[in-house]
Amino acid sequence: MRKPITPMKPRVSQYGVDPKYVTKRMADYENITSLMLKDLFPDTPDVIFPSDKGVEAIREAAEKALENVDMSMIKPEHSVNICASHHGFTLLGGEPYAELLKTVRDVIARRTGTENIRLRAGVGLRFRETEEYIKSFGLDKYFNGKAKGVAPVDEGIAIETEIGTLYGIKAIYDADWIVHVHNSDVREVHFHRQVDRAVKPFGMSYARIETRSTYHQNLGPRGANFTARAIFNSDFVQKKFAFTVFLNMSPAGVVSVDADNNLYALNDRLTVDGCKYYGKIMTLLGEIDECIVGLDFPCPVPYVFAAGVIYANFTGANVDLFDLDGPLPPYTWYTEAFYGKDGKPLIDNVPPVNPAIKMVVHNYAWGGYPSAFFSNHCPTIVVGREQADLLNRDPQNLQYMEHAVIADNLDAAMEFAYRVAKTDKVIIFDGAVGGINVSTSLAKLLLEKAPIVSKRVDEELLPKWLKQRGINPDILK
Amino acid sequence: MRLVTLLAEVDTEKCTGCRTCQKVCPTLAIKVENRKAVVDSEKCRGCNNCEQRCPVYAIKMVKRVNPVRVYVDPSTVDRSEVEALCKKARFNPEQIICYCTETRAEEVAAAILKGADTPEKLSLETGIRTGCKVECIQPILRLLEAAGITPERPDGYQWYGRTPTVWDIPEEIKEKYSHRGFYFDQDIKVLNKVAEGKKSLEEAR
Repeated sequence: MRKPITPMKPRVSQYGVDPKYVTKRMADYENITSLMLKDLFPDTPDVIFPSDKGVEAIREAAEKALENVDMSMIKPEHSVNICASHHGFTLLGGEPYAELLKTVRDVIARRTGTENIRLRAGVGLRFRETEEYIKSFGLDKYFNGKAKGVAPVDEGIAIETEIGTLYGIKAIYDADWIVHVHNSDVREVHFHRQVDRAVKPFGMSYARIETRSTYHQNLGPRGANFTARAIFNSDFVQKKFAFTVFLNMSPAGVVSVDADNNLYALNDRLTVDGCKYYGKIMTLLGEIDECIVGLDFPCPVPYVFAAGVIYANFTGANVDLFDLDGPLPPYTWYTEAFYGKDGKPLIDNVPPVNPAIKMVVHNYAWGGYPSAFFSNHCPTIVVGREQADLLNRDPQNLQYMEHAVIADNLDAAMEFAYRVAKTDKVIIFDGAVGGINVSTSLAKLLLEKAPIVSKRVDEELLPKWLKQRGINPDILK
Repeated sequence: MRLVTLLAEVDTEKCTGCRTCQKVCPTLAIKVENRKAVVDSEKCRGCNNCEQRCPVYAIKMVKRVNPVRVYVDPSTVDRSEVEALCKKARFNPEQIICYCTETRAEEVAAAILKGADTPEKLSLETGIRTGCKVECIQPILRLLEAAGITPERPDGYQWYGRTPTVWDIPEEIKEKYSHRGFYFDQDIKVLNKVAEGKKSLEEAR
C-alpha cells in the first residue's frame, strides 16, 4: 500500500479561510493510499515537472521551444503584453507557470531588444486572485513593476468579429503585440468540451463580462467556446498576436513546453494530447460505483483537483464529457439553468449529477465561484464554522450553506459520512501531483478497471473524440 | 431573489477619488463626491465589485445589521405577459439566468413589466448581476430588448452592449466551423426545447 501523496498546502487568500483553520487533511487517515497515474496507465507520458531539476526544467524547455518561434515583428521600440491567466498558478503549486512567464519575458527581451514588456494576468470570478499570485511569485519585481491583474469588469474594448461585436478587456490589448501564455490542463471540459481549448482565454480571462456572458448564456453548451475563436480571428487581435507558449500538461505533470506563431496549429496538437492524457483518467473515474468525495485544496469548490481531474468533472463523470454527441453534461451552467423551481429539469433526459457521489466532505475549498448547485445536488458536510461563515459572506455563494451541514472538525465529518453514505470508498481532490489519494477499497476497484478503460479509450473513444473535433484519428498512428 | 447581507464601506483616508468604484458598480450605489467615494446604503447590493477593484484598497465589505431582501414577485404581473416576454427573448420563464442569485427569467421579466428599464434598475430590484457580476448581463439585455427597451449606458464600465446569440450566427459561419466541433444547430434545438418547455432532448442530438 503506497503512502498518500502529500496534498497541496493551504494558501493564504482572501477567498479561503486562514490556513490555520485547516488542521487536518483527508489524506492523513490510515485507510488512505495513493495511486500513481503510471500504475493505472503505463502509457502515461514522462514529465519534465515535477522532476529533480525543479523549475529549471521549465526554463530549459521554454527556451528550446521558443527557438523556432518568429519574433521578428517585435521591434526594440515596441510594447509587448504577455497575457496570462489565473489557472496556470493553480497547477503544481504555481511555480512552473510563473517560471514560464519569467522565461518568456527574458527571451523576448533578449531576442527583440524591447524592455517594454508587461504582464497582464486575467482572472476567473475572483478579481484579485492574480494580484495575489503576482505578489506571491515575485512577478511584479520581475516585470519591473509592469505586472497587472485584470478583471472582466475593467474598462473594455469593442472587438468586431465575424459574428458581431464582442468585448475584450482594454488592458489586455494596450500594447503593440500580445503573447498568449497558457497551459493545456483540460480543467473545464464541461464548458469548453475540449473544442479550441488553447483559444479559450480570448473568450474568457481576456474578455469582458459581455463576452463571457455570451459564452455561458447565448451560444449553447457546444457552441460556447466559439466566442473565443471569433475574438481571436478578428482583425483587431490578429494584428496584435505575435505568438503563443503553453505548458503542455498531463494529469501527471508538465509533459513539455510548446510554442508557435500559429495558435491553431498548437491547438490541434494540444487537443490530441488533452483527449489522450486526460481521457483515460476521466473515463476511469466514471467507473466508480459509490464514494465519499473529499474537497481539500486551495481553490473554489468545482476546481479542487487531483490527477488532473477537477471536482466539477467528477460530478459529470457518469457521462462521457468528451463526447460531443451528448448535448448537456450533468454539470455546466447551461444544465444548471435548466432546472426548474420544483428542482426538476425543464426538459427530459438531462443527465443527473454523478450518482456515485454519496457524500461530499468539504474540508477545505474556497468561495469565489457560484457553487450552490453542488451542495444542492450532493449531500455536503462543511468542516468548521469559519468556512461556513466565509461562504455565507460570499455574494456568489449565498445559498451554498442552505443545502449543506456543518461539522466541527474533519473527524466528525468523516464519521458522519461513513455512517450515512454506507461506503468505505473515498476519493480526495487535494491537488495530489502525479496520482490520486483514495481509500484502499477504491484503489482496488480503480486498479481492476484501469486496463479495461485504457483499451476502450485507445480503440473506441479517442478516435471518436478526435473525429468529432475535425482531427484525423490517423494522427495517433 | 437576493438577500443582501453586506454593505460597502469606504475608508476616506485611503480613498483617492479615482472613480473606479463608481464605474464598476452594477446598481450605481457608489459615487465620488468632493473627491471621496460615498456609498448609498439603500442601493448597495453587497456585490463586492467596488471592494475588489479599488486600486488603493480603500473599501471593505461589512455585515449589514439588518439584511435586505430584494425580490420582484412574478405573480404580481400578468402571467401571459411574462411568458410572452421570456419567449421573445428565447428563455423559459423558469430558466435560471443568474447562477449566483438563482434569479429566473420570469422575475426579471416581471421587473421589466413593472417599469425597470435598465440593467442597473434590474440589479437593484431583483439582485441579478450582484453575485459574480459577470455571467448574466446578456440575458438582462436580451429581455430588455424583447420588451422594446434600448437602455442608456451608464458613464462607466457597467456594460457595453448586447452581443450575438447562437440564433444570430449566419449559416455560412456555421458551415465554416461545424466540422471543428461547434454544434450550433444542435444547440439551437436544445435551447429551443428549453424555451418551449418539457420536450425530449433526444431530438437535439
